Amino acid sequence: MTSSNHSLTPDAAGDIQWLASLSQDFAASLSMPETLDNAIAQIMSYLEVEAASIFLLDPGEATLTCLACAGAVDIRGLTVANGQGIVGRAVSSGQSQLVRDVAADGDFSGAIDALTGFRTRSILCAPLQVKGRKLGALEVINKRAADANFDAGDCQLLQALAGVVSLAIHNARMAEALVEQERMRRDLDLAREIQRGLLPQSPPGFPVCAINLPALEVSGDFYDFFPLPDGRIVWGLGDVSGKGMNAALLMAKTISLFRCLGKREPDIGRLLADLNDEIAETALFGMFVTMVLGTYEPASGAVRLVNAGHQPPLLRRRDGSYAEFAAAGPPLGVLPGMSYEAVTLQLDGGRLFVFTDGVTEGLREDGSMLGLAGLQAIFDAHAGADAAAQLAAVADTLQAGGRRLRDDLTLLAIAPPPLLDREFPAESGVLAEVRATLEAALNGVGLAAEAVGELVLAVNEACMNIIQHGYAYAEGQVFRLRLWRDGGMLQVHLLDHGRPARLDDLCPRALDELRPGGLGVHFMRQLSDGIAYLPPPPGYDNLLQISKRLKA
Amino acid sequence: MRDRVEISTRKAGEYDWLGLSGDVDMHAAPQVRKALLDALQGKNGLLVDLAGVSYMDSSGVACLVEAFQTARRQGSRFALVAVAPPVLAVLRLARLDKVFTLYATVDEALAGGR
Repeated sequence: MTSSNHSLTPDAAGDIQWLASLSQDFAASLSMPETLDNAIAQIMSYLEVEAASIFLLDPGEATLTCLACAGAVDIRGLTVANGQGIVGRAVSSGQSQLVRDVAADGDFSGAIDALTGFRTRSILCAPLQVKGRKLGALEVINKRAADANFDAGDCQLLQALAGVVSLAIHNARMAEALVEQERMRRDLDLAREIQRGLLPQSPPGFPVCAINLPALEVSGDFYDFFPLPDGRIVWGLGDVSGKGMNAALLMAKTISLFRCLGKREPDIGRLLADLNDEIAETALFGMFVTMVLGTYEPASGAVRLVNAGHQPPLLRRRDGSYAEFAAAGPPLGVLPGMSYEAVTLQLDGGRLFVFTDGVTEGLREDGSMLGLAGLQAIFDAHAGADAAAQLAAVADTLQAGGRRLRDDLTLLAIAPPPLLDREFPAESGVLAEVRATLEAALNGVGLAAEAVGELVLAVNEACMNIIQHGYAYAEGQVFRLRLWRDGGMLQVHLLDHGRPARLDDLCPRALDELRPGGLGVHFMRQLSDGIAYLPPPPGYDNLLQISKRLKA
Repeated sequence: MRDRVEISTRKAGEYDWLGLSGDVDMHAAPQVRKALLDALQGKNGLLVDLAGVSYMDSSGVACLVEAFQTARRQGSRFALVAVAPPVLAVLRLARLDKVFTLYATVDEALAGGR
């Protein structure tokens, strides 16, 4: 009986204690190579062997490389082909190998001995594996006592050791992967932040607003807008084919080109053609960009736009009807040398919406596709709100139920913001304040003093109608007054919850009758450039529009 | 709510005189209407001085029309004096500038009555 028989009970207790302390070393390890070197030295002395080493499989499983060793010769970094020698046999078979005399084993190559001058007599080798996944092998060579050799107890102990070492290596690799994952996540967050920085935010009162919600961390959609020195606003919205990082990079390139070229090229058809040529020259095969871009002139209310393969922008006219503006040419980046024809339209109290197919192909809470009709229904339902709220309502609909977006979601609206938007109690005592508020809002819009007085009087008369006829002097009622400039026109909207009004109500009585009352409508007609009842937005029963032309 | 209209009355020769100033709007209309109809009770004829009126809407005009018609039924005189520009604009708009009798001053109104 030799002291190396570890299967006996007193020794087994010592083995377990030693294994436990080794495991603790691994658990507390800050540097895996150092801990392995330490462990292998301990293994060498505990098992009373001349050399010990750990070989790891490379990711392709073609070779085994020595990661840690102890003994007379340092073989760290030494590589053998997988399947070669006793180590290779242990790894490929997944079984421990006990070779008491290497000379009698045909698989023993002696290659390492030849390289190092070491003389191997016997080998004990256990495979390293976790959940059936091969990692490498743990090998010990030559019992130190000249007359001793490996026995079953050594084999059991080495197998137990292999389990501990396998787990330690596996954990270290998992931790490394986690660190790498975290680094990539930070990279993506940074990319997203940079991308967000490319998309401008509308300053208060700016007539163009937009939103972008990426389906993944980064987006292939984009929008942009910026003012020109001549007062026009250049705007654009695009969608790069595909999703993820490659789409995001082409997006960044396209938006940068758009901003740079857009400040120099006054002709938007030419601008789009230039963008197309640049992208076609350098874009990866199979990638393209659909885009709508244009200008908006606040002074005239004129929009010019040009469409490269993008889904048609929608003009919602002030009467609630829609017009579409189909593509004038193919997407950007498909073929150089294309030309694109621009169209001109007047907002005239309407709003222009541009959006990506992620919007129309987005899903509602019940799983149905929104579609163009669904999108229009949302715009209609929020026609009384400002454009930013209309866009937010679309985003809310497509995010209802916390569902993950299927595609990037991007919308842009061109809508002159209101100069005034306020609710008043519907009582005669408030009229002086209504007049003062309106007068203040009209200050500086370029309306002559006399015309300001006319519009104030017309609005005053309309408010009287609401109090008198709409609400029949009922208490606790309110009406809302909105004013905005639309090109050459000022538009006043009065919204109330009163008795539904009809167009007939706007027909004045004959003035010759000389009766009190009935004058108000006459005043409204005479003092404005048009009065009309429009379909009211949700939450209101009447919408009266009073228009007043701004004289050049 | 603070009153934005001021009403005063006195005699002007043989006529009653009623002065309005401030905003003659829907809020002030009931008060103005009552004052005008009260002033007509004496049937002496009424001069309505509008020099201080800064704003008038259709409800203010309606008060003047009702007073005018009441005076006509009574067979007494009704005239507007010193009509401020914002009032004149509204009266023109209602084509009432040719219906009402207008005088630049009280003296002219007194002279014109003879």
